[in-house]
Amino acid sequence: MSRCGWLVLLVAAAACTENATAPGVCPTFCPSGSISIQDTIFAAIIGRDSSFSGYLQGYQSTLMTAADSPGVVDSRPFFTSQTMITRIAPKAGDTTTVPLVVDSIRLRLIVARRDKQATNLRLKLFPLPVTVDSTWDFASLDPYFTAPPVDSVSISRLLATAGTTDTAITRFWRTVCSACIDSVRVDSAGNVLLMQADSSVIVYVKLDTLEAPLSAPDSGRVAFGFRVAADSFASVSLVTEQTSAGSGPQLNWYYHYTIPPKGTGADTIPRDTSTSRLISTRFDSFVFNPPSAAIDSNLTVGGVPSARSLLRVALPAFLHDSIDLVRATLILVPVSPVRGVPSDSFAIEGRNVTTDLGAKSPLGTTFNSTFVHIGSADTVRIELTNLVRAWTLDTTQVTSLFLRQLPEAASYTQARFYSSRAPAFRPSLHVTYVKRFGFGAP
Amino acid sequence: MKTAVWRLGGWAVRVGVIAAVLLAAEPPNRLTAQDSQFGIKGLGTPGRWESVRARSTGGAFAPFDAFSPLTDASLADASRMSASIAGGTSWRTIEPTGAAQASLRATRFPALVIAGPLTRRIVMGGGFATYLDRTFGVMIQDTINLRGVQEPITDEITSDGAVSDLRLAAAARLHRRIALGFGFHMLTGSSRVIATRTFADSTNYRTSTARDEVAYSGTGGSASLLLDVTRDVRLAGWLRSDSRLRADIGGRQVAENNLPLTYGAGLQWRAGTQAAFAGTVMWRNWRAASPADSNSHDTFNWSVGAELGSLGTPMRFGVRGGQLPFGVGKTPSEVGYSAGLGRQFSGGRGRLDIGLERLERKGTGLTERVWTFLVGLTVRP
Repeated sequence: MSRCGWLVLLVAAAACTENATAPGVCPTFCPSGSISIQDTIFAAIIGRDSSFSGYLQGYQSTLMTAADSPGVVDSRPFFTSQTMITRIAPKAGDTTTVPLVVDSIRLRLIVARRDKQATNLRLKLFPLPVTVDSTWDFASLDPYFTAPPVDSVSISRLLATAGTTDTAITRFWRTVCSACIDSVRVDSAGNVLLMQADSSVIVYVKLDTLEAPLSAPDSGRVAFGFRVAADSFASVSLVTEQTSAGSGPQLNWYYHYTIPPKGTGADTIPRDTSTSRLISTRFDSFVFNPPSAAIDSNLTVGGVPSARSLLRVALPAFLHDSIDLVRATLILVPVSPVRGVPSDSFAIEGRNVTTDLGAKSPLGTTFNSTFVHIGSADTVRIELTNLVRAWTLDTTQVTSLFLRQLPEAASYTQARFYSSRAPAFRPSLHVTYVKRFGFGAP
Repeated sequence: MKTAVWRLGGWAVRVGVIAAVLLAAEPPNRLTAQDSQFGIKGLGTPGRWESVRARSTGGAFAPFDAFSPLTDASLADASRMSASIAGGTSWRTIEPTGAAQASLRATRFPALVIAGPLTRRIVMGGGFATYLDRTFGVMIQDTINLRGVQEPITDEITSDGAVSDLRLAAAARLHRRIALGFGFHMLTGSSRVIATRTFADSTNYRTSTARDEVAYSGTGGSASLLLDVTRDVRLAGWLRSDSRLRADIGGRQVAENNLPLTYGAGLQWRAGTQAAFAGTVMWRNWRAASPADSNSHDTFNWSVGAELGSLGTPMRFGVRGGQLPFGVGKTPSEVGYSAGLGRQFSGGRGRLDIGLERLERKGTGLTERVWTFLVGLTVRP
């Protein structure tokens, strides 16, 4: 009996599992209530919308765009380097210095974005005054960019080049960029291209002392501007120093100097010593023509200085407490297609604000984005489900959001959408929600 | 051998008392009876007010069994303080017409009765049973048009709970051959309900989940009579009426439904010391309780059963039949066959009952087959 009792208990314990759900045979064997879904476009709940400009300048951006589309846009990035020593103390503690003799220079550029369909894609280098800064504009820099370039590197040709089979070269460049993938490509001019895992490429442009002279009056600083050329899709984005320290254009100066003899014993013969020094960017930015248009009654997003649009949403009360929101989409109608090089499509982000202070509203942490394509007049839709859902669940949240370009001030591209001042095309919110289920009734 | 018996008795008594105290204090949501798809469309699936002993006889012995909550008068036979609990595990197969078969499983504790004499003639008792089972889950797959796109969806609507029947009853033996019982019933309980919709396009559409807890309340009264026609023949009759069943969500009433009048009669014949036979009939006017609901039906149920063998180790058999109160179209029917064993231990201080029941329910568009394994424990501390 005792064993039997334990057996019964074991069987009972093993049987204590539930499976009460079966495929529904409706409506005969289903609850009378059903999950009801509604899909509504709220055409008039977005109002008091405005655009503001001046958030980020070109030199504050993480990218700088080089583009050349005749009659559309001409965008030219440039940079000036930090100072470079022109003399060196051959021995530590010596007050005597000797001059440096530059052998060659390598300019490193990280091309974050390029059009893979671009053919004959080239970057041309133009020397600029080392004094270039944020006060220089397209017009003031134009004479330097219209002069003959000091050098040119063909990215397309480098990409088409077979990877080097020289293990010494490969080993050297692998130490320079251990995370790079694919082969090390070197052209006949000594320019090198390395591929990164995110498809961005690192280009090392080899310069000689004529192309990049070490000038003592300029404290060793140099400045270069870039123009891009291609058979089509002439547009690239270069990484700037604002992305992270050392990620902007970088110069590696290879030089040697002579250690003078002391004149006693075996140390009576001068000796040459070779070394190199990395010099990072002091200032980088880009200029373009035509400049970004002034803000008008429409909603403006992007451009330089960057523009954002603030949209205020008057959420209907019933969305707060009696529904479960499953999808929310912001609908924006462009005033006109965005002009530019086709490959310069960009992202627009809708992000909440923690408090509504107009142009200075601090950005929140809930966001989503979508892409705006150059030349397309299609309606732009941004999925804002998480954001609007948070609004429906928490009535204390500010129901406003900013539209901004990603990354900001990185390109000449600027989108314009109709605002609430244009009733037929005003921004709207497309909401799909599930009505509260009628529990309790049989 | 003597020691072994003593140990088992002690264990059984302790477990039984603890279980009785805990379960009587707060009926759990698992306190539900036999689920059925036929109950989804209505108020639920009516519970069985039967102990394992009575259920093993198809329910035929329920009116005469002190540990079946069906009648109050039967408490008069409880000469000592006693408690009994019943539990069961069901394996259910549903076969909808034109749809795929599905297998379900559930474990329930359908009834608990505690009774003891107050005076020489009056016995008080109480406990709980399932009035209506509200546990089910349905999964519905469909395709809807959303934003001009055909979007596959899956809905899952589940309810987990029951309307429980808390009973306080008294039975009095008015005469050597007559016992009368009255009971006050408090209908209580809740069901946790969840409705979930998931979208095949989970990138753009979030899963929607609505949860709530529906609380039920109501009251009822019952009266019953046992009449010993001869020394071997006993008649039983009972009547029960309940108030309206109120369903609340968050303190707000969302539904109120009438409950049926229940009445029935039973006959038991003791053919000697080793055999007893019984039969019952019972009516419930569910349709009158909800005249506007075309899916509710009046029910008539019957059962016939036998208990054979000694009092310490009886064997039980039974057949039941009848109708279910909810279903589209014609009234769903059910037929059940059951068998079981009982075993007394600790000198009659405890009894373990096991039973096996096979049910077949048929209605418009659905056939349901159920195997239920039952375990009951009765202790007299």
